[in-house]
Amino acid sequence: MKLLKPSWVSHNGKPIFSVDIHPDGTKFATGGQGEDSGKVMIWNMAPVLRDEDEKNENIPKMLCQMDNHLACVNCVRWSNNGLYLASGGDDKLVMVWKRAAFIGPSTVFGSSSKLANVEQWRCVTILRNHTGDVMDVAWSPHDVWLASCSVDNTIVIWNARKFPEMVTCLRGHTGLVKGLTWDPVGKYVASQADDHSLRVWRTMDWQMEANITKPFSECGGTTHVLRLSWSPDGQYLVSAHAMNNSGPTAQIVERGGWKTNMDFVGHRKAVTVVKFNPKIFKKKQKNGSAPKPGCPYCCCAVGSKDRSLSVWLTSLKRPLVVIHDLFDKSIMDISWTLTGLGMLVCSMDGTVAYLDFSLDELGDPLNEEEKNSIHQNIYGKSLAITSTEAQLSTTIIENPEMLKYQQERQSSAQLGPSSAGPEASAPKLNSVMNGESLEDIRKNLLKKQVETRTPDGRRRITPLCIAQLDTGDFSPALFNSAPILPSGSSMSNQLTSQLSSDSSPGPASSLGLRPGHDPMLTSPPAGAATKGPEDNKDGAKSGLLLTSASKIEPMKALDSRFTERSKATPGVTATISSIAGLVPLDSRPKDGGGVSAPKDVKAKDDTSSDSEDKMASINKNLSFSKRKPELLMDGDGVVEKRKKGRPRKDKMAAPMAQPFMQMTPPAEREPSRVAAPPAALKLPTPSIKKAFSLQVSMEPSVFLEVENEVSLIAGSKLSQLRCSRDGRDWNTLLPSSVVTAAGSSDVLAVACQDRMLSVFSSCGRRLLPAIQLATPASALHCSAHFVMALTAGATLSVWDVHKQKALVKNESLLSILSGADTTVSQSLLTQQGVPVIGLSNGKCYCFSSSLETWTLIADKGDSMVQCADFRSCLPTHDAPVSSGPLAVMQGRNLNAGRLASRLSSTPHHLQQSMTLAFLENQLASALTLQSAQEYRYWLLIYARFLVNEGSEHRLRELCQELLGPVHKSAATAWEPTTLGLRKRELLREVLPVIVENLRFQRLFTEYQDQLELLRNK
Amino acid sequence: MAKVQVLNVAVLDNPSPFGNPFQFEITFECMEDLPEDLEWKIIYVGSAESEEYDQVLDSVLVGPVPAGRHMFVFQVSKLWYVWKSFSMPKKT
Repeated sequence: MKLLKPSWVSHNGKPIFSVDIHPDGTKFATGGQGEDSGKVMIWNMAPVLRDEDEKNENIPKMLCQMDNHLACVNCVRWSNNGLYLASGGDDKLVMVWKRAAFIGPSTVFGSSSKLANVEQWRCVTILRNHTGDVMDVAWSPHDVWLASCSVDNTIVIWNARKFPEMVTCLRGHTGLVKGLTWDPVGKYVASQADDHSLRVWRTMDWQMEANITKPFSECGGTTHVLRLSWSPDGQYLVSAHAMNNSGPTAQIVERGGWKTNMDFVGHRKAVTVVKFNPKIFKKKQKNGSAPKPGCPYCCCAVGSKDRSLSVWLTSLKRPLVVIHDLFDKSIMDISWTLTGLGMLVCSMDGTVAYLDFSLDELGDPLNEEEKNSIHQNIYGKSLAITSTEAQLSTTIIENPEMLKYQQERQSSAQLGPSSAGPEASAPKLNSVMNGESLEDIRKNLLKKQVETRTPDGRRRITPLCIAQLDTGDFSPALFNSAPILPSGSSMSNQLTSQLSSDSSPGPASSLGLRPGHDPMLTSPPAGAATKGPEDNKDGAKSGLLLTSASKIEPMKALDSRFTERSKATPGVTATISSIAGLVPLDSRPKDGGGVSAPKDVKAKDDTSSDSEDKMASINKNLSFSKRKPELLMDGDGVVEKRKKGRPRKDKMAAPMAQPFMQMTPPAEREPSRVAAPPAALKLPTPSIKKAFSLQVSMEPSVFLEVENEVSLIAGSKLSQLRCSRDGRDWNTLLPSSVVTAAGSSDVLAVACQDRMLSVFSSCGRRLLPAIQLATPASALHCSAHFVMALTAGATLSVWDVHKQKALVKNESLLSILSGADTTVSQSLLTQQGVPVIGLSNGKCYCFSSSLETWTLIADKGDSMVQCADFRSCLPTHDAPVSSGPLAVMQGRNLNAGRLASRLSSTPHHLQQSMTLAFLENQLASALTLQSAQEYRYWLLIYARFLVNEGSEHRLRELCQELLGPVHKSAATAWEPTTLGLRKRELLREVLPVIVENLRFQRLFTEYQDQLELLRNK
Repeated sequence: MAKVQVLNVAVLDNPSPFGNPFQFEITFECMEDLPEDLEWKIIYVGSAESEEYDQVLDSVLVGPVPAGRHMFVFQVSKLWYVWKSFSMPKKT
């Protein structure tokens, strides 16, 4: 062991509180007290390591000095990828620094020409949330999060991919939090505080996993910091200051059960800092002796207030070395080099010391691959992707194509790190800009400077631009390059934020997410609610026009007891409650009066769900009378607007209003007059109203207006159907009252009270003779040239109007409507004419006309869906989340993985299989729904998952299926396309995904070659 | 984050004869293009206790300022300052 105290590393005698060595080992940062501010300094490592470099005047020692912190800097930490430096200080701030790559020379503030910064580090973000001094900061593995702890008793987790976004704030400590450490596998973060406790927090749900107090009960808050550390194998957590038999120790906490049986004893005063060597070691094989499979061990350095430093190996009972009187004051921080052989220690006395170990002393360090395999053995985590970087040096890339992909991937992953590269080991002192040194610029500055007078006589100076700002400011792409997330994955947070931002428009979400309800109960309305904006989005994109799916049913989901009541008095209560469910959707776009509606509904809903059965009728009456005037007003307001025939430009308003319009009940205007006997009816029918209108499509904008009983001719009442399409109107008369209507840009369909279904073209031509339905229509949908009718007798029919053929013929829903109170909560027809039915029990079916059967495409209650954790396989860039019928029916599917957080204890292989099953389900569902976009989306996720998890067989099968037979023969039944997507094009998209794991390079080569072959044919 | 960061202020020609102007070499960094000019002032702090005794010696507009790092020398004649301090109304 060699020991060096580089005297030139100093903050002018002021204390140094923190030290951290850059991951590439070429520089290190110190943080501490400056003259009248906090100070962060970056130093060159080369003069520390080599004597000749120290003497060489051309090699700079100090690389950069930053005085931006207003008060003492307590902690500096490099991100794992080395691109960023985080610093936290007494000014309650955390600053994140990035090297400015292409910027000109600069000087330290207040200095004259002498002291020049060799490297430029610019503060890219200031993280403000703490209300007290920040004591410690720590980057999570893969730089997904940054944690900071403070004397305000909190720990804040920042989203390192999207600064300054805060992920969460961990509260629970009752004293100053003085140290933080991440579990190397990323499952936990641990903190130690002055409240005599060490707490372990889960990264899955950010809840406390353990609170360890016993070893700390006798501790006094005498240390400035309590920097604890987690061993590189993840098995042990070692605390700073703990007490055992009134002697200061460093407590060893075992990961399994958080047991505290062992400690490091020997220091005479409190332990301030513990730091594990990042490497795992194994016994050095002596020449000649028989190779003995030694158990791998870790190395740990402990620094104390008693100014001494001890280094321990977990394989030894006694410390490897103890160094006394190295400093005049308490040791504050320790940092190991990534190689595991060097260590920097800093002290309150303002000096640092460097310790250099040899392999003989510590042992043979395991390489990254071996370390990963240890992790994999213990935690079951596949780190296949993470290890590629390490493997890169050992694995030979066999294919130029592969090399190309790899290089592309790396160059995209390293936008700026050329600056952080090893070239920095001996940077030139005189930075040159445009062939001019800073000195030259300064000399001529006054002469060059242009001074003018403004019209009001003031002096105006045009400054001399000495450096362009590097545009690669805070590129999140760099952080996104971390491909696999240990276990929790920050994606969840991104996802949830997406979810909330997706569903936030409209009070619908507040309805769906109403607290105090069983999630299973509320989920169907949530689905119905998200449908609104969804619908609208699709319409706007002229994609799928999902006509009002949430017919009358949402009330069933809102409160199951409504069903019972609706049986008793089918007309009145049912309609009221359906309004209760739907008014908020409609009232949203309006101002003023409409705003109060959701509140009312909520109140009403709550009371009704609380009330007992005998109270129900009273309640009903009450709410009825209360709602009535408001509803009338609502309804009238909208109808009036529509009658003017003014197409609503408000994209939100129109589709949202649509379900309401169709459902405006006659209860207030005329009593219910449903003709058919209710006994045979499984599904409710919309009741007839005097007039209604709906918007059929946005682009071109088509409006449909229905006016029932317009004229009396020879005793029969005629109804009028009026349609305006881009300002051109047509109208037609129907012999019976129109119950419901629907339309797409191609066709319009209306169902009448006499169970007749009429289909018109967009210009008003009747396309089919009136179709006689067996029972009254419950719901009607049109999409492209398909018409779907759901009858009250629970049968479903779909017709292709162009071909004049039935796709689905009177198919009964009884097989899927099992259970007493399951009803249809949602129905829709996809652009390809596939009917989809969502049930109130959360299941969702589509009728596959090729299989002639109902197929389950989504089940909200399926635990598999909720446990699947594929978030790490989501496209890294913000690719458009699939929005198609599948996503609509599954409530955007963001529920998936919701439970994954609760499964932190599930074995990895179980979760892996669940995710696999889920993804395969999604693929199959997308296929049945004929939703090409979604199929492609899920295929890529599936492929990425297979690549990450390294399941070669499935991947091979998938590729084989996409490639098909290379040689044509008459017997092959292989279809070159699926859902209109060319399979080989899909394979071309999948191949770059495969490249991400070098293990599959043979597979990649194989299929790449075959694709090339086929292309050349 | 502030859009403008002052990176350095160096006092040039220091010490200098009485007749020479003050010279401050100012380096600053700007995160984005500024639509308007920056105003810089040289203030003589008469007393650290109170702003009451602050005297603005000179102010100058600096622009246009595109994103990047910039430098300029802010120069004030001491004689002009002396004249100005005499002409200033006495505060009571």
